[in-house]
Amino acid sequence: MLDLTHLRIYITTVQSFMYQYDAIDQQLVEERVAQFRDQTRRYLNNELKEEEFLPLRLQNGLYIQRYAPMLRIAIPYGMVSSKQLRLLADITRRYDRGYGHFSTRQNLQLNWPKLEDVPDILEELATVEMHAVQTSGNCIRNTTTDQYSGVIADEVADPRPYCELIRQWSTFHPEFAFLPRKFKIAVCATESADRAAVQVHDIGLQLKKNDAGEVGFKVLVGGGLGRTPMIAETISDFIPRTDLLTYLDAIIRVYNQHGRRDNKYKARIKILVKALGIDEFRKRVDAEWEHLRGTESTVPMSEFDRLASFFTEPAYEALEDQPSVLAEKLADSNAFARWYERNTFDHKKSGYRIVTLSLKKPGQAPGDATADQMEKAANLADQYSFGELRVSHEQNLVLADVRQEQLIELWEAAKENGFATPTLGLLTDMICCPGGDYCGLANAKSIPIADQIQETFDNLDYLYDIGEVDLNISGCMNACGHHHVGNIGILGVDKKGAEFYQVSLGGASGHDASIGKILGPSFAQEEVGGVIQKVINVYVDNRTEEERFIDTFRRIGIKPFKEAAYAKAN
Amino acid sequence: MPKLIKNGEIVDNTFVWQQDVDASASDTTIVPMQKWLDNQDSIGNVAGIWIDAGEGVEPLAGLDLSQFEVIGINFPSFMDGRGFSYARLLRERLNYTGEIRALGGFMADQQGYLIRCGFNSFEFAEDVNLDIALTLNKPFNVAYQGDVADPRPIFLRRG
Repeated sequence: MLDLTHLRIYITTVQSFMYQYDAIDQQLVEERVAQFRDQTRRYLNNELKEEEFLPLRLQNGLYIQRYAPMLRIAIPYGMVSSKQLRLLADITRRYDRGYGHFSTRQNLQLNWPKLEDVPDILEELATVEMHAVQTSGNCIRNTTTDQYSGVIADEVADPRPYCELIRQWSTFHPEFAFLPRKFKIAVCATESADRAAVQVHDIGLQLKKNDAGEVGFKVLVGGGLGRTPMIAETISDFIPRTDLLTYLDAIIRVYNQHGRRDNKYKARIKILVKALGIDEFRKRVDAEWEHLRGTESTVPMSEFDRLASFFTEPAYEALEDQPSVLAEKLADSNAFARWYERNTFDHKKSGYRIVTLSLKKPGQAPGDATADQMEKAANLADQYSFGELRVSHEQNLVLADVRQEQLIELWEAAKENGFATPTLGLLTDMICCPGGDYCGLANAKSIPIADQIQETFDNLDYLYDIGEVDLNISGCMNACGHHHVGNIGILGVDKKGAEFYQVSLGGASGHDASIGKILGPSFAQEEVGGVIQKVINVYVDNRTEEERFIDTFRRIGIKPFKEAAYAKAN
Repeated sequence: MPKLIKNGEIVDNTFVWQQDVDASASDTTIVPMQKWLDNQDSIGNVAGIWIDAGEGVEPLAGLDLSQFEVIGINFPSFMDGRGFSYARLLRERLNYTGEIRALGGFMADQQGYLIRCGFNSFEFAEDVNLDIALTLNKPFNVAYQGDVADPRPIFLRRG
């Protein structure tokens, strides 16, 4: 009998449901490799000064870190094919130490490449339509979006064609490569939830339709984390999609000219928006847009059609929801049922399910994946999900199109490879930056704190009882771990040379975004797990039946938490 | 005579970038924009004016810019990208067609972007090798966005 499993693998390797480079896209990344190879050569020959090479390498994702360079590879809006992921695995093995770190902005970071190898790494990436363009530096960064794009029922439209439009517009934008500070854009296409954290981005785009049914965006501006966390304000309720690029040009042109450049901590667009006030800022943007609107950068419908044509639906089969094999397993196996409840999500097509491969295994740094795991994830994608994966803002991998009847075998395979930690959305599904173990900016280590919390909350029954809590850890106030918008946020601080940790409560990053409130004086490293335990106890003691942690916090305020955390032992 | 790169060639720099407001102006000097605006009736012929970062191009709106052979834009450092917007606005909004000259702390590796924004001449610091700098002026032969040379973004140019 014909082996259909293999046939399906064959089909997935020749078909694609994500953006494909044409000759122009390919030429651009190849010319970029040549340019960076020459810049690196001139730097190593002392023809480029350290301070001149700095912005050039940063625009290619290359930081010089605590122990070695860090290379941040772009995964545009989190979409990666199995073929690309296999090459990434291979690169981490040959040029690094056999693992990588998936970041909150859906990119992949290598912690140990050699500077002189970076041009070769980029050349290899270009062979699979990848690059490291603008993954750092004071320019427009990788545009991020919902990891469930295209496969959930309630999105206004698939945001990925718009992300690709923005990717192309922002790539080597001649006017905006030396902005006052970095610039991050995120796109959300659902009203029910915001998995892209649009309210804490420099520009947040909420895909919507107006009363006439036209597709466009609500545009938010001036959100951000870092030293001065702010929730974005609405600059326009509706910008038609055809006008998106001219409107973005107008916003960033105002920022480029008027954003502060005298103090890097006050240079983000949020500071300008705050200083001018949203009304004055809007007025200036509108005045600029008057000139730009309707010019050649207005996007024709044919371009939307072209971009959308890459993100077609795979050949879904007509399947029933909850096939008997799944229903039986859910009834039989508590462990499977837990994984199904936490780590899988409703798909728009009946008989399919979205599966998250967790990168939050206890003992492994959150978001880290070994080369073996990357290859295994690529294989699972080929076998179960049309050869594609997504990287989530929460630093996990996602298989978007899994047949429900195959969930049991996928779960078994995920368990074998350390992907099945059934804690998505729970306390230990932490967002965590690399911290002082790797990063030259960090005040304190973050990974040992994540380990400590994993150890403190190692009982799954208890974790499920606690329910949904976002816990985010940053090693310094640059806030790469998004601690401000964690329901529980932990920030590494330096206290006379010692590593201490400040705890904040009540942050949130969804449509009801809020900035956490600081609990009080910081704690020594070994105290953190115990403090989080006390905070959770207050929640458990005070919650009503249907309340999540954030709901209870918003109802009772910070005081009871503060009292418990700082109570003297009797 | 000092050299500069203009329209892709190394040529003599026949103008003097006058940074001192009190220096006397002549038809070979590029004077500060504000000085010219304050004294335009008395200052006489100048080669051109230069705009400092932070000044913007708004003060030039409504003026006849064709009287200037050159408009310079100063970069206090290569990290300060305000001048990229100024050049575009000079070309695309104020329709200035004369020479736009990069002055100050810009870098040779920025020429590709600078040219796309409308600069056509580059007055480098003395220690810069102009022959090498010239090789860095076109890193890319394709572009996604429209620019001063061709306002059409890629979606109007793809075959």
